[in-house]
Amino acid sequence: MKFKTLGFATTLAMAISAHAQAESILNVATAGSENMVEYVNQYLAPKFRELHPDVTVRVIGTGPGDAGSNAIMERLSAQKDAGASADIDVAVVHEKPVGKMVTDGLLAKYAASADTASLVSSDKAKNALGVDVEGYVMPMFQSQTAWAYHPALVSNPPKSYAELSDWVKENPGVFGYNGIRNGMSGVSFVNGWMYAFTGEADKMMKGPFDASLVGSEKWNAALADLKEFNKNVTFTPGNAGTLDMLNRGEIGIGPVWVDMFYSWQADGRVNPEIKLMLPEPGMPGQPMHYVIPETSKQRDLAVEFIELATSPEVQAHGIVEQFNWYPGIDAKYLESELSADVWDKLFADITPEDLATKSLSFPLVGYFDAILTSYERDVE
Amino acid sequence: MAQATAFYLTGLIMNASRFSGLLLVAPAVLFIAGLFVYPLSYSFIDAFTVAGDAADAGTRFSLANFVLAFELYGDDIVFTVLIVSLSAVLIASGAILIGGYITLGTNRFLVNAVRILYRWPLFIPFIVAAQCMRTFLAKNGLMNGVLIEMGMLTPLETTGFLDWRGIVITFVWKQLPFVALLVTGAMASLDRAGIEAARDLGAGRLRILWQIVVPQVMPTLIVALVLSIVTMMSVLSVPVMISGHSPTMMTVQMAFRVNAYHDYGTANALGVISYLITGLVAWIYLRRGVAGKGGEK
Repeated sequence: MKFKTLGFATTLAMAISAHAQAESILNVATAGSENMVEYVNQYLAPKFRELHPDVTVRVIGTGPGDAGSNAIMERLSAQKDAGASADIDVAVVHEKPVGKMVTDGLLAKYAASADTASLVSSDKAKNALGVDVEGYVMPMFQSQTAWAYHPALVSNPPKSYAELSDWVKENPGVFGYNGIRNGMSGVSFVNGWMYAFTGEADKMMKGPFDASLVGSEKWNAALADLKEFNKNVTFTPGNAGTLDMLNRGEIGIGPVWVDMFYSWQADGRVNPEIKLMLPEPGMPGQPMHYVIPETSKQRDLAVEFIELATSPEVQAHGIVEQFNWYPGIDAKYLESELSADVWDKLFADITPEDLATKSLSFPLVGYFDAILTSYERDVE
Repeated sequence: MAQATAFYLTGLIMNASRFSGLLLVAPAVLFIAGLFVYPLSYSFIDAFTVAGDAADAGTRFSLANFVLAFELYGDDIVFTVLIVSLSAVLIASGAILIGGYITLGTNRFLVNAVRILYRWPLFIPFIVAAQCMRTFLAKNGLMNGVLIEMGMLTPLETTGFLDWRGIVITFVWKQLPFVALLVTGAMASLDRAGIEAARDLGAGRLRILWQIVVPQVMPTLIVALVLSIVTMMSVLSVPVMISGHSPTMMTVQMAFRVNAYHDYGTANALGVISYLITGLVAWIYLRRGVAGKGGEK
């Protein structure tokens, strides 16, 4: 009896290992919140499996925010230092760390070998917060921050940062945001504030980095105004916290991520009457990028995976329709794939013209960190 | 001769048992050394070093991380100490009242109800507790909703508790059962003769609790509080989910240094400061223990 069991176990083990040998594994690491892992695991991986039945896609989520991308960077860098090849074949990372990953020589220049490279038109695929990344990245999607407001509480929302700054004095506590420590929607709001009130948005986004702007008169004035402004706002606990408070009517207006807003609304977690708007002079958004580590052993398979992920079909149905992100490739290639309803929904509150004029990028890394430090020092 | 052999054998057995004893504790010691002492010393060194001036200078000793930590996060360090102290005081009072009621209460039904109910939060992780409190304590959250329904508040009078008060409420809610559990156990094992004698002499229940029971369970209470303080100092989820805005607790700032700036040096400096604070608490406890033993006993 015992021998029989043992024999069975051995056969099973052999069968499993034979099976494992026939299959190859593509390791995909993704930074970002739960929805990113869900997207790759439940949407993208099965589609790739249809094309390559012998490949298993193994997805690792490394956590939300830049911290998640930093975790990938630290791993690749440790593997590089140890002279080992990377155990990640495709990574999805944020805009801020990707520049350092390129300059540190952790990534492969693969984009030219991908068929879909010609569909990408965004400048963000060429330059990541001041670092030349052309050829190393392909954008997975664009996400955007905007102000969400409840028309029942705020019938006539302020249209710009300048209007908002006066408006909160008459409506104290109605505007809410999450500071800089608790999610990027708050960080984005603060960056937008600095763009609006220093008047140096262009310089801060395009560079070159000029240290004399940090701590200059207009820089400090913008921060002093922000300190004053903060006296009349409600602080929310995080990106999700802002949406929760809007939904419960505790605040009437606040900065949110557009994709998160639409997803929550589709799930019934946000009141359908709440609307979005992009204020003057604009707010930052950011792409997530597909990258391939320099020492990945499955470069060809990885490129094929990214080709699938950046194909018009997947961009239309996965990125836009199911997950409410703006496409990573040029939107004109999606029009034939999407129904008018989906298209209209995505651009209902924020029009393509708004996006063209008021969707900004985050500032260069130097300004980005300087803004956070100044906020800690002078505003809080 | 026989005696010598016996002596020799005993020695052998004792050596063998000592060896197997060492073998038994080895995994635990290695575990602590590898997963706690090693990373701890690494962080400790990192807190006191900065990158050298030249590009290839390596690292050098510096207190710069501590200067930055105090400059930017001095308020947060004070805030953390205040939050944890206030929570500890409330937890101690609550635990004494719960333990006292279970030990001295006369209504069996109520005593049993308290005994069963007070432990529930023990089984709920901090992150779940924080998420529940986020909706419970909000301005238009469940708590205010219930108070309004009961006619105790009007919608205009409500305020949210998602600030330092929310953090304290969550800490107390979560840690009170743990301390109460230990204190109640200690109270149950007391010699009841003293309590009965005091009762016969006409002492009220509060007086018995305060003058007879509490002094006897003080060592247990303090151990439980020290453990609770250390736990509260280390929790990130509660302050970050309830109120991440400045001033906030040190754990939030440590996470922020790493996530936003990739700056492990200052985060480690904050960690060392946090260690010193908990170390101080432990030292007070140890000193008290030693004094107690060398003194009246």
